Amino acid sequence: MPLDLLSYTVRLTVEVAGKYIRLTTSDECRRAWNIVCCQSFAMTKGRVAPIDWFLRPVHRWVWGDFDRRVRKLLAFAEVETDGGRDILRAAELTPDPLLRRLYLEHAIDELRHGNLFRERGAALLHKRPARDVLFNGTPLPGGHGLDDLRIEGEPDHRLLAFLHVAEKAAAGRFTIYRELVDDDPATRAIFEEILRDEVFHMNYTYTQLTRVLPESYRRQVWLARANRLWKRYGRVVAALTSAIGGAILLVQYFILLPPFAWLAKRAERREPVGWTPIPRDRNDSPNSQY
Amino acid sequence: MKILGISAHYHDAAAALVVDGVPICAVQEERLSRHKGDASFPVGAIEWCLDHAGLEPADLDAVVFYERSMLKFERILTCALRAFPRSWRSFPHAIKNSLGEKVWMRGIISSYLGVPRNKIFFTAHHAAHAAAAFLTAPTRHAAILTADGVGEWATLTVGHGERHPDGGTDITLQHEIRYPHSLGMLYSTFTAYLGFAVNEDEYKVMGLAAYGRPTMSDQARKLIRRTPDGAFALVPEYFEYHTTANRSYSSRFIELFGPPRNAYEPIDLETAEGRRFADCAASVQRVLEDTLVDITRALHRRTGLPDLCFGGGVALNGVANARILAESGFERLFVPSAPGDAGCALGAALYADRIYFHNPDRAVPDHPFWGPTVDAQELARAAREDGQAVEELDESALIERIADELTAGRIVGWMDGASEFGPRALGHRSILAAPHSRATRDRLNRDIKYREEFRPFAPVTTIEMADRYFDLPPGGTRLARFMSGVFPVRPEWRDKLAAITHVDGSARVQALERDMAPRLYALLEAYGRRTGTPVLLNTSFNVAGEPIVNRALEGYSTFRRCGIDVLVAGPTLVMKRVASPATVKEAVA
Repeated sequence: MPLDLLSYTVRLTVEVAGKYIRLTTSDECRRAWNIVCCQSFAMTKGRVAPIDWFLRPVHRWVWGDFDRRVRKLLAFAEVETDGGRDILRAAELTPDPLLRRLYLEHAIDELRHGNLFRERGAALLHKRPARDVLFNGTPLPGGHGLDDLRIEGEPDHRLLAFLHVAEKAAAGRFTIYRELVDDDPATRAIFEEILRDEVFHMNYTYTQLTRVLPESYRRQVWLARANRLWKRYGRVVAALTSAIGGAILLVQYFILLPPFAWLAKRAERREPVGWTPIPRDRNDSPNSQY
Repeated sequence: MKILGISAHYHDAAAALVVDGVPICAVQEERLSRHKGDASFPVGAIEWCLDHAGLEPADLDAVVFYERSMLKFERILTCALRAFPRSWRSFPHAIKNSLGEKVWMRGIISSYLGVPRNKIFFTAHHAAHAAAAFLTAPTRHAAILTADGVGEWATLTVGHGERHPDGGTDITLQHEIRYPHSLGMLYSTFTAYLGFAVNEDEYKVMGLAAYGRPTMSDQARKLIRRTPDGAFALVPEYFEYHTTANRSYSSRFIELFGPPRNAYEPIDLETAEGRRFADCAASVQRVLEDTLVDITRALHRRTGLPDLCFGGGVALNGVANARILAESGFERLFVPSAPGDAGCALGAALYADRIYFHNPDRAVPDHPFWGPTVDAQELARAAREDGQAVEELDESALIERIADELTAGRIVGWMDGASEFGPRALGHRSILAAPHSRATRDRLNRDIKYREEFRPFAPVTTIEMADRYFDLPPGGTRLARFMSGVFPVRPEWRDKLAAITHVDGSARVQALERDMAPRLYALLEAYGRRTGTPVLLNTSFNVAGEPIVNRALEGYSTFRRCGIDVLVAGPTLVMKRVASPATVKEAVA
């Protein structure tokens, strides 16, 4: 606890100093601030969001089980890789040379994280190959990522704000995960390594946001938070409607379809196999979808 | 007439534009969206095609979709009914998927483009494949074979096409094999069983097959029954792709071949398990080849024609193509640069032009370069901003310089002109390297492409010299034009061309004509002057899991994060300056 307090103090100091430097000094100072900031954040824990503290039992349930742990790691691998590719796209599209370099480094980090998760998931799977982890059930939700952000046409300030919020949330959540895999030093080491990168990402996105949009960077961060919340709501609603739709279709499947299924099976038995002649007039109706 | 062709919603969405009977441009959506195998409605590709031609949607005379979506929905519904009650899990998913978007193609196209509904047309899926294969081939009368996973109902069709002296064109597909009996699905089932991605990684099965022996051919033949009329039928008990969405093979399939491969485990060919997987791949490859050879022999006997046009995803199997050419009796085999679903966008537009609107036949330029053009200035600007060493050279100096770099063992990212339409890099978006040493191949797999060790690399050589290094049968250079055939490397050259010689002594060679890609041709000549062998290793300019690069900046970002030493776009050459990641972070922070 004293360590937490110390790290929080360090972070607060750096934040305050950073604001001062951003307002008053040269690029060199800003650069120095960034490096200090990165290093001090790297020593601290990510700040855990209240919702994640609240969901700790769920996280413990997920990480406590071997199959779920493997699936979660493999899902993270996909999310990090996809996120890396999206950031790579941002690097290709931004007109800002500095951001291009930063995005590129960020993307390389994310792609590496994807590999780390994939390799660890595969290594765990290798230990108990008889388990049918991959073939039963869908992967668990992967956590953070770039959601459905369209990189094309997105201005840099909005992307930076989005990335900052996403990385911050990820750092907080990975802090919890790191503690929950205490029994698994290799996985814990991966989270520690990734946490260091996430803190760097969190910081550079914020400082660059202040550079790109000095007059309203705070507003952008709040907008990004709101947008993230809205997307989360959208996903829940979509999942709910999909589940309701699926249930209705399932009911119809068992109530309405049996007689048609019987007819279809009867027709199938009569259907010849092998070559079927194609009627010459099949393509005579170019407007038809049948 | 201005006709836009569209393919979408299964895999490899694309758009193509045909004006007055000649293709103007074509591009896959994945090249623009940067999502590999992007199947979404190709808004980006359509916009690019229209921009490229300077057209507005209102200028279009017709928009043609590459399949009959309601007929496809009928097949999905019928299969769900036939599999009742085992299809209870897949049914809601399939219905939501279809009714959510896919069956409403007329409305979707109309609303996206704002064109009247009476300008929207549809072709049968395999008719689009057939048109893509026949109407782009320099032949007047040819037999046609199409084979893929599935279109609406058809999975394989045979017929013929003819260009009449009066300018009229006929494409007649006479017979089909219907779902669920499908060579494409048979191969995809093994793709899934071997832990690869279906509809994407089938070529890995082909690459792996060379490491194995077809010791399980008898088991594989149990899956596919030959019918008395010379066709085939899959034995449904071994498959699940037509009943569930989760898995393509059944428990009986696993009883026959053993446990499936875990996709996250590397294939170790030193172990018995690794060799079993390689043998599985070799066995299904053998069965596929034998079946195709039998079908094409019968087709040759029936039509008596010297030429065969082959379309559909199965036509990407270069080993099978080489056997068809050697054993079917056809003298020439034409496979387009994009035989898969992306090529259907072009096929559908050409089909509408020639068959629906009866426009006179026009020769289609015999090259694959229909995509966006690279902007060398964009590369020069970005590289200078990043402090890379940039040089602008005139044509001949650049070619000589690149030849020097390749001779010195450097790996070159090569971007030139318009991008290729189709899955192969044919000299405009390529990674080039010296073909002589296995170390180069291993370096490319490990540091640049980030892919499996067993994957081979393809060579490119001049058409005049191809026969010197590769054992090409008559008609082989045509098949090698778009890298569509796998042929033996001549034994005396295998050690000297070790980076491109696969484990079984074969290579998927590209035989390059000067007119098709003059700069690459000049580079091959310059390299030949230095080393005595005008052959280069030519692999697609991308890393594993990503589409081939399109714009200069995409090539540049790939160059920056992998082991490519030199990047070229037009007259611009960039040499890599390496900085450690930590230094870069500090420098840019």
